[in-house]
Amino acid sequence: MVSDETPTSGRLPGDLNKAQLIDRIIRVDQAGEYGAVRIYKGQLSVLGRTPAGGAIRRMAVQEREHLAKFNELVPQRRVRPTVLQPLWHVAGFALGASTALLGPRGAMACTVAVEEVIDEHYAKQIEQLGDDESELRGICERFRQDELEHRETGLQHGAEDAPGYKALTGAIKAGSRLAIWLSERV
Amino acid sequence: MDRMEIRDRIVIAMLPHAGFDGWGEQALAAALADADLSQDMATRVFPGGMREIVGHWSSHSDRRMAEEMAARHLEPMRIRDRAALAIRVRLEVNLEHREAVRRALAFVALPQNAEVGVRCTYDTVTAMWYAAGDTSSDYTFYTRRALLAAVYGAAILYWLDDESEDYDDTWSFISRRMEDVMKIPDLQSRLTSAVEGFVSPLNGRMRRRFRTSWPD
Repeated sequence: MVSDETPTSGRLPGDLNKAQLIDRIIRVDQAGEYGAVRIYKGQLSVLGRTPAGGAIRRMAVQEREHLAKFNELVPQRRVRPTVLQPLWHVAGFALGASTALLGPRGAMACTVAVEEVIDEHYAKQIEQLGDDESELRGICERFRQDELEHRETGLQHGAEDAPGYKALTGAIKAGSRLAIWLSERV
Repeated sequence: MDRMEIRDRIVIAMLPHAGFDGWGEQALAAALADADLSQDMATRVFPGGMREIVGHWSSHSDRRMAEEMAARHLEPMRIRDRAALAIRVRLEVNLEHREAVRRALAFVALPQNAEVGVRCTYDTVTAMWYAAGDTSSDYTFYTRRALLAAVYGAAILYWLDDESEDYDDTWSFISRRMEDVMKIPDLQSRLTSAVEGFVSPLNGRMRRRFRTSWPD
Protein backbone atom coordinates (compact mmCIF):
# COMPACT_ATOMS: atom_id res chain seq x y z
CA MET A 1 0.00 0.00 0.00
CA VAL A 2 2.67 2.49 1.02
CA SER A 3 5.87 2.25 -0.99
CA ASP A 4 8.47 4.05 1.04
CA GLU A 5 11.25 1.54 0.44
CA THR A 6 14.52 2.85 -0.84
CA PRO A 7 15.03 1.79 -4.45
CA THR A 8 17.97 -0.42 -5.35
CA SER A 9 20.68 1.28 -7.33
CA GLY A 10 20.21 1.52 -11.07
CA ARG A 11 16.49 1.08 -10.75
CA LEU A 12 14.35 2.32 -13.64
CA PRO A 13 10.71 3.39 -13.52
CA GLY A 14 8.54 0.31 -13.76
CA ASP A 15 11.18 -1.95 -12.22
CA LEU A 16 10.41 -3.79 -9.02
CA ASN A 17 11.32 -2.16 -5.74
CA LYS A 18 13.67 -4.03 -3.47
CA ALA A 19 11.02 -5.72 -1.34
CA GLN A 20 9.21 -6.96 -4.43
CA LEU A 21 12.45 -8.21 -5.93
CA ILE A 22 13.40 -10.21 -2.82
CA ASP A 23 9.84 -11.50 -2.62
CA ARG A 24 9.99 -12.83 -6.16
CA ILE A 25 13.50 -14.25 -5.89
CA ILE A 26 12.81 -16.26 -2.76
CA ARG A 27 9.42 -17.44 -3.99
CA VAL A 28 10.65 -18.63 -7.38
CA ASP A 29 13.82 -20.22 -5.99
CA GLN A 30 11.87 -22.17 -3.42
CA ALA A 31 9.47 -23.30 -6.14
CA GLY A 32 12.41 -24.25 -8.39
CA GLU A 33 14.14 -26.33 -5.75
CA TYR A 34 10.84 -27.93 -4.87
CA GLY A 35 10.32 -28.81 -8.53
CA ALA A 36 13.85 -30.22 -8.73
CA VAL A 37 13.29 -32.42 -5.69
CA ARG A 38 10.11 -33.72 -7.30
CA ILE A 39 11.80 -34.34 -10.67
CA TYR A 40 14.55 -36.44 -9.07
CA LYS A 41 11.97 -38.24 -7.00
CA GLY A 42 10.08 -39.06 -10.21
CA GLN A 43 13.28 -40.30 -11.86
CA LEU A 44 14.13 -42.44 -8.86
CA SER A 45 10.67 -44.00 -8.81
CA VAL A 46 11.53 -45.46 -12.22
CA LEU A 47 15.32 -45.81 -12.15
CA GLY A 48 15.88 -45.98 -8.40
CA ARG A 49 17.09 -49.55 -8.43
CA THR A 50 19.03 -49.37 -11.70
CA PRO A 51 22.74 -48.51 -11.82
CA ALA A 52 21.74 -44.92 -12.64
CA GLY A 53 20.12 -44.64 -9.21
CA GLY A 54 23.34 -43.73 -7.41
CA ALA A 55 24.12 -40.64 -9.45
CA ILE A 56 20.51 -39.43 -9.36
CA ARG A 57 20.31 -40.01 -5.64
CA ARG A 58 23.42 -37.92 -5.01
CA MET A 59 21.93 -35.00 -6.95
CA ALA A 60 18.58 -35.43 -5.19
CA VAL A 61 20.29 -35.11 -1.79
CA GLN A 62 21.75 -31.73 -2.80
CA GLU A 63 18.41 -30.49 -4.11
CA ARG A 64 16.80 -31.40 -0.83
CA GLU A 65 19.41 -29.34 1.01
CA HIS A 66 18.72 -26.38 -1.28
CA LEU A 67 14.99 -26.71 -0.70
CA ALA A 68 15.48 -26.88 3.06
CA LYS A 69 17.39 -23.59 2.93
CA PHE A 70 14.63 -21.82 0.99
CA ASN A 71 11.95 -23.36 3.21
CA GLU A 72 13.74 -21.59 6.04
CA LEU A 73 14.00 -18.28 4.18
CA VAL A 74 10.31 -18.15 3.19
CA PRO A 75 8.93 -17.54 6.69
CA GLN A 76 12.08 -15.71 7.80
CA ARG A 77 11.76 -13.08 5.08
CA ARG A 78 7.95 -13.22 5.21
CA VAL A 79 7.63 -14.26 1.60
CA ARG A 80 4.42 -15.79 0.37
CA PRO A 81 5.17 -19.21 -1.18
CA THR A 82 3.86 -19.91 -4.67
CA VAL A 83 0.22 -20.90 -4.96
CA LEU A 84 1.23 -23.37 -7.66
CA GLN A 85 3.16 -25.68 -5.36
CA PRO A 86 0.62 -28.54 -5.62
CA LEU A 87 0.97 -28.25 -9.41
CA TRP A 88 4.80 -28.46 -9.26
CA HIS A 89 4.38 -31.37 -6.89
CA VAL A 90 2.61 -33.38 -9.57
CA ALA A 91 4.23 -31.84 -12.69
CA GLY A 92 7.79 -32.22 -11.38
CA PHE A 93 7.25 -35.84 -10.49
CA ALA A 94 5.56 -36.52 -13.83
CA LEU A 95 8.42 -34.89 -15.77
CA GLY A 96 11.02 -36.90 -13.86
CA ALA A 97 9.16 -40.18 -14.23
CA SER A 98 8.26 -39.73 -17.91
CA THR A 99 11.80 -38.82 -19.02
CA ALA A 100 13.14 -41.70 -16.94
CA LEU A 101 10.80 -44.00 -18.83
CA LEU A 102 12.76 -43.09 -22.00
CA GLY A 103 15.72 -44.62 -20.24
CA PRO A 104 18.55 -43.32 -18.05
CA ARG A 105 19.82 -41.11 -20.88
CA GLY A 106 16.39 -39.50 -21.19
CA ALA A 107 16.47 -38.76 -17.47
CA MET A 108 19.93 -37.25 -17.81
CA ALA A 109 18.81 -35.13 -20.78
CA CYS A 110 16.00 -33.81 -18.58
CA THR A 111 18.54 -32.98 -15.87
CA VAL A 112 20.76 -31.13 -18.35
CA ALA A 113 17.84 -29.11 -19.71
CA VAL A 114 16.46 -28.14 -16.31
CA GLU A 115 19.84 -27.32 -14.81
CA GLU A 116 20.80 -25.14 -17.76
CA VAL A 117 17.69 -23.03 -17.29
CA ILE A 118 18.28 -22.84 -13.54
CA ASP A 119 21.88 -21.79 -14.12
CA GLU A 120 20.77 -18.84 -16.30
CA HIS A 121 18.12 -18.01 -13.75
CA TYR A 122 20.47 -17.96 -10.75
CA ALA A 123 22.99 -15.94 -12.78
CA LYS A 124 20.35 -13.29 -13.44
CA GLN A 125 19.41 -13.11 -9.77
CA ILE A 126 23.02 -12.83 -8.62
CA GLU A 127 23.33 -9.85 -10.94
CA GLN A 128 20.19 -8.23 -9.49
CA LEU A 129 21.12 -8.65 -5.84
CA GLY A 130 23.14 -5.83 -4.32
CA ASP A 131 25.73 -5.88 -1.55
CA ASP A 132 23.03 -5.34 1.09
CA GLU A 133 21.78 -8.82 0.21
CA SER A 134 25.16 -10.53 0.21
CA GLU A 135 23.87 -13.48 2.25
CA LEU A 136 21.11 -14.31 -0.22
CA ARG A 137 23.48 -13.70 -3.11
CA GLY A 138 25.98 -16.10 -1.56
CA ILE A 139 23.31 -18.77 -1.29
CA CYS A 140 22.37 -18.30 -4.94
CA GLU A 141 26.03 -18.50 -5.97
CA ARG A 142 26.63 -21.67 -3.98
CA PHE A 143 23.50 -23.37 -5.30
CA ARG A 144 24.32 -22.33 -8.85
CA GLN A 145 27.64 -24.19 -8.61
CA ASP A 146 25.80 -27.34 -7.49
CA GLU A 147 23.34 -27.04 -10.38
CA LEU A 148 26.21 -26.69 -12.85
CA GLU A 149 27.75 -29.87 -11.45
CA HIS A 150 24.45 -31.67 -11.97
CA ARG A 151 24.50 -30.55 -15.58
CA GLU A 152 28.03 -31.96 -15.94
CA THR A 153 26.90 -35.22 -14.36
CA GLY A 154 24.08 -35.41 -16.87
CA LEU A 155 26.42 -34.87 -19.81
CA GLN A 156 28.93 -37.41 -18.51
CA HIS A 157 26.16 -39.98 -18.30
CA GLY A 158 25.34 -39.65 -21.98
CA ALA A 159 22.49 -37.15 -21.91
CA GLU A 160 23.24 -36.11 -25.46
CA ASP A 161 22.67 -39.67 -26.70
CA ALA A 162 19.09 -39.59 -25.47
CA PRO A 163 16.43 -40.19 -28.13
CA GLY A 164 15.46 -36.83 -29.65
CA TYR A 165 17.86 -34.91 -27.40
CA LYS A 166 17.37 -31.51 -29.09
CA ALA A 167 13.58 -31.64 -29.18
CA LEU A 168 13.34 -33.10 -25.70
CA THR A 169 15.59 -30.56 -24.00
CA GLY A 170 14.01 -27.73 -26.01
CA ALA A 171 10.56 -28.67 -24.74
CA ILE A 172 11.75 -29.10 -21.15
CA LYS A 173 13.58 -25.77 -21.21
CA ALA A 174 10.50 -23.95 -22.50
CA GLY A 175 8.41 -25.60 -19.77
CA SER A 176 10.95 -24.70 -17.09
CA ARG A 177 11.01 -21.06 -18.18
CA LEU A 178 7.23 -20.92 -18.08
CA ALA A 179 7.32 -22.45 -14.60
CA ILE A 180 9.82 -19.78 -13.47
CA TRP A 181 7.72 -16.97 -14.93
CA LEU A 182 4.62 -18.26 -13.18
CA SER A 183 6.27 -18.98 -9.83
CA GLU A 184 7.72 -15.47 -9.62
CA ARG A 185 4.23 -14.03 -9.92
CA VAL A 186 1.73 -16.47 -8.42
CA MET B 1 5.04 14.51 12.26
CA ASP B 2 5.63 11.99 9.50
CA ARG B 3 3.10 10.59 7.09
CA MET B 4 2.53 7.39 9.04
CA GLU B 5 1.81 9.28 12.28
CA ILE B 6 -0.73 11.52 10.56
CA ARG B 7 -2.42 8.50 9.05
CA ASP B 8 -2.60 6.81 12.46
CA ARG B 9 -3.95 9.97 14.07
CA ILE B 10 -6.73 10.43 11.55
CA VAL B 11 -7.84 6.83 11.89
CA ILE B 12 -7.87 6.94 15.68
CA ALA B 13 -9.85 10.20 15.63
CA MET B 14 -12.33 8.57 13.25
CA LEU B 15 -13.27 5.71 15.58
CA PRO B 16 -15.78 7.41 17.92
CA HIS B 17 -17.47 9.16 15.00
CA ALA B 18 -17.52 6.17 12.65
CA GLY B 19 -19.47 4.24 15.28
CA PHE B 20 -22.31 6.76 14.95
CA ASP B 21 -22.09 8.11 11.43
CA GLY B 22 -20.47 5.21 9.61
CA TRP B 23 -17.23 5.36 7.60
CA GLY B 24 -18.05 8.41 5.50
CA GLU B 25 -17.33 12.09 4.89
CA GLN B 26 -19.31 13.26 7.92
CA ALA B 27 -17.28 11.19 10.36
CA LEU B 28 -14.06 12.23 8.61
CA ALA B 29 -14.91 15.94 8.93
CA ALA B 30 -15.64 15.53 12.64
CA ALA B 31 -12.44 13.53 13.15
CA LEU B 32 -10.32 16.14 11.36
CA ALA B 33 -11.82 18.87 13.54
CA ASP B 34 -10.96 16.83 16.68
CA ALA B 35 -7.41 16.13 15.51
CA ASP B 36 -6.91 19.71 14.32
CA LEU B 37 -6.01 18.62 10.80
CA SER B 38 -7.15 20.01 7.47
CA GLN B 39 -9.12 18.29 4.75
CA ASP B 40 -6.16 18.90 2.45
CA MET B 41 -3.92 16.98 4.81
CA ALA B 42 -6.36 14.08 4.84
CA THR B 43 -6.45 14.03 1.04
CA ARG B 44 -2.68 14.12 0.92
CA VAL B 45 -2.04 11.20 3.27
CA PHE B 46 -5.04 9.17 2.07
CA PRO B 47 -5.24 9.77 -1.69
CA GLY B 48 -7.36 6.62 -1.95
CA GLY B 49 -10.10 8.20 0.13
CA MET B 50 -12.33 6.36 2.58
CA ARG B 51 -11.29 2.93 1.30
CA GLU B 52 -7.70 3.69 2.17
CA ILE B 53 -8.71 5.02 5.59
CA VAL B 54 -10.60 1.84 6.44
CA GLY B 55 -7.68 -0.22 5.11
CA HIS B 56 -5.26 1.74 7.24
CA TRP B 57 -7.35 1.19 10.35
CA SER B 58 -7.14 -2.55 9.71
CA SER B 59 -3.37 -2.53 9.28
CA HIS B 60 -3.00 -0.26 12.31
CA SER B 61 -4.94 -2.80 14.36
CA ASP B 62 -2.81 -5.62 12.89
CA ARG B 63 0.32 -3.83 14.09
CA ARG B 64 -1.07 -3.43 17.59
CA MET B 65 -2.09 -7.09 17.64
CA ALA B 66 1.45 -8.11 16.61
CA GLU B 67 2.99 -5.91 19.32
CA GLU B 68 0.72 -7.39 21.96
CA MET B 69 1.43 -10.96 20.79
CA ALA B 70 5.17 -10.29 20.88
CA ALA B 71 4.82 -9.32 24.55
CA ARG B 72 3.04 -12.58 25.44
CA HIS B 73 4.75 -15.78 26.52
CA LEU B 74 3.83 -18.05 23.62
CA GLU B 75 6.48 -20.80 23.79
CA PRO B 76 4.54 -23.35 25.84
CA MET B 77 1.38 -22.91 23.75
CA ARG B 78 0.29 -25.14 20.89
CA ILE B 79 0.21 -23.38 17.52
CA ARG B 80 -3.60 -23.57 17.31
CA ASP B 81 -3.90 -21.93 20.73
CA ARG B 82 -1.56 -19.17 19.64
CA ALA B 83 -3.67 -18.58 16.53
CA ALA B 84 -6.82 -18.49 18.67
CA LEU B 85 -5.10 -16.03 20.98
CA ALA B 86 -4.16 -13.87 17.98
CA ILE B 87 -7.82 -13.64 16.99
CA ARG B 88 -8.76 -12.71 20.52
CA VAL B 89 -6.03 -10.08 20.79
CA ARG B 90 -7.01 -8.66 17.41
CA LEU B 91 -10.60 -8.22 18.61
CA GLU B 92 -9.45 -6.81 21.95
CA VAL B 93 -7.51 -4.07 20.14
CA ASN B 94 -10.85 -2.55 19.17
CA LEU B 95 -12.91 -3.72 22.13
CA GLU B 96 -14.06 -0.16 22.83
CA HIS B 97 -15.02 0.41 19.23
CA ARG B 98 -17.49 -2.35 18.53
CA GLU B 99 -19.82 -0.01 16.65
CA ALA B 100 -16.99 1.24 14.43
CA VAL B 101 -16.21 -2.39 13.57
CA ARG B 102 -19.87 -3.01 12.74
CA ARG B 103 -19.95 0.04 10.47
CA ALA B 104 -16.66 -1.00 8.81
CA LEU B 105 -18.22 -4.37 7.95
CA ALA B 106 -21.15 -2.51 6.41
CA PHE B 107 -18.65 -0.42 4.46
CA VAL B 108 -16.70 -3.35 2.99
CA ALA B 109 -19.98 -5.16 2.25
CA LEU B 110 -20.64 -2.62 -0.52
CA PRO B 111 -19.59 -4.10 -3.87
CA GLN B 112 -17.29 -1.19 -4.75
CA ASN B 113 -15.41 -1.72 -1.47
CA ALA B 114 -15.25 -5.51 -1.59
CA GLU B 115 -11.58 -5.51 -2.58
CA VAL B 116 -10.62 -3.60 0.57
CA GLY B 117 -12.40 -6.20 2.67
CA VAL B 118 -10.64 -9.10 1.00
CA ARG B 119 -7.21 -7.47 1.15
CA CYS B 120 -7.60 -6.47 4.80
CA THR B 121 -8.74 -9.96 5.75
CA TYR B 122 -5.75 -11.50 3.99
CA ASP B 123 -3.32 -9.08 5.63
CA THR B 124 -4.89 -9.60 9.02
CA VAL B 125 -4.79 -13.39 8.99
CA THR B 126 -1.23 -13.24 7.62
CA ALA B 127 -0.22 -10.96 10.48
CA MET B 128 -1.94 -13.34 12.91
CA TRP B 129 -0.07 -16.42 11.65
CA TYR B 130 3.26 -14.63 11.75
CA ALA B 131 2.48 -13.39 15.26
CA ALA B 132 1.63 -16.97 16.20
CA GLY B 133 5.05 -18.09 14.95
CA ASP B 134 3.86 -20.00 11.89
CA THR B 135 6.71 -21.12 9.63
CA SER B 136 4.75 -22.89 6.90
CA SER B 137 6.51 -22.63 3.56
CA ASP B 138 4.30 -24.79 1.35
CA TYR B 139 0.70 -24.68 0.13
CA THR B 140 -0.51 -24.95 3.75
CA PHE B 141 0.48 -21.27 3.94
CA TYR B 142 -2.76 -20.62 2.05
CA THR B 143 -4.98 -23.26 3.61
CA ARG B 144 -4.01 -21.98 7.05
CA ARG B 145 -4.87 -18.44 6.07
CA ALA B 146 -8.15 -19.49 4.52
CA LEU B 147 -9.12 -21.44 7.61
CA LEU B 148 -8.13 -18.67 9.97
CA ALA B 149 -10.03 -16.14 7.85
CA ALA B 150 -13.14 -18.28 8.25
CA VAL B 151 -12.72 -18.49 12.02
CA TYR B 152 -11.85 -14.80 12.32
CA GLY B 153 -14.84 -13.74 10.21
CA ALA B 154 -17.21 -15.90 12.23
CA ALA B 155 -15.65 -14.62 15.47
CA ILE B 156 -16.25 -10.97 14.50
CA LEU B 157 -19.91 -11.64 13.74
CA TYR B 158 -20.33 -13.59 16.97
CA TRP B 159 -18.62 -10.86 18.99
CA LEU B 160 -20.74 -8.07 17.48
CA ASP B 161 -23.85 -9.60 19.06
CA ASP B 162 -22.21 -11.06 22.14
CA GLU B 163 -23.97 -9.92 25.33
CA SER B 164 -21.98 -12.15 27.72
CA GLU B 165 -19.82 -10.69 30.45
CA ASP B 166 -16.34 -9.74 29.20
CA TYR B 167 -17.29 -11.46 25.92
CA ASP B 168 -16.56 -14.87 27.44
CA ASP B 169 -18.85 -16.53 24.91
CA THR B 170 -16.79 -15.13 22.03
CA TRP B 171 -13.50 -16.44 23.44
CA SER B 172 -14.89 -19.94 23.88
CA PHE B 173 -16.49 -19.73 20.43
CA ILE B 174 -13.04 -19.05 18.95
CA SER B 175 -11.50 -22.03 20.76
CA ARG B 176 -14.23 -24.37 19.53
CA ARG B 177 -13.87 -23.19 15.93
CA MET B 178 -10.07 -23.61 16.07
CA GLU B 179 -10.50 -27.22 17.14
CA ASP B 180 -12.71 -27.77 14.07
CA VAL B 181 -10.14 -26.17 11.78
CA MET B 182 -7.44 -28.57 12.89
CA LYS B 183 -9.42 -31.57 11.66
CA ILE B 184 -8.83 -30.74 7.97
CA PRO B 185 -7.37 -33.81 6.28
CA ASP B 186 -4.06 -33.60 4.48
CA LEU B 187 -4.94 -33.41 0.81
CA GLN B 188 -1.37 -33.42 -0.40
CA SER B 189 -0.39 -36.67 1.21
CA ARG B 190 -3.29 -38.35 -0.55
CA LEU B 191 -2.22 -36.81 -3.85
CA THR B 192 1.34 -38.02 -3.35
CA SER B 193 0.37 -41.62 -2.80
CA ALA B 194 -1.99 -41.52 -5.79
CA VAL B 195 0.68 -40.26 -8.21
CA GLU B 196 3.54 -42.35 -6.93
CA GLY B 197 1.42 -45.46 -6.73
CA PHE B 198 0.72 -45.01 -10.41
CA VAL B 199 4.37 -44.99 -11.47
CA SER B 200 5.99 -47.44 -9.10
CA PRO B 201 4.72 -50.67 -10.76
CA LEU B 202 7.07 -49.83 -13.64
CA ASN B 203 10.03 -49.86 -11.35
CA GLY B 204 10.66 -53.57 -11.73
CA ARG B 205 10.46 -53.47 -15.51
CA MET B 206 12.86 -50.56 -15.82
CA ARG B 207 15.29 -52.27 -13.49
CA ARG B 208 15.40 -55.33 -15.70
CA ARG B 209 15.77 -53.26 -18.83
CA PHE B 210 18.64 -51.07 -17.69
CA ARG B 211 20.42 -53.46 -15.40
CA THR B 212 23.49 -53.90 -17.56
CA SER B 213 23.91 -50.82 -19.74
CA TRP B 214 24.77 -48.15 -17.21
CA PRO B 215 28.08 -46.47 -16.33
CA ASP B 216 27.57 -45.35 -12.76
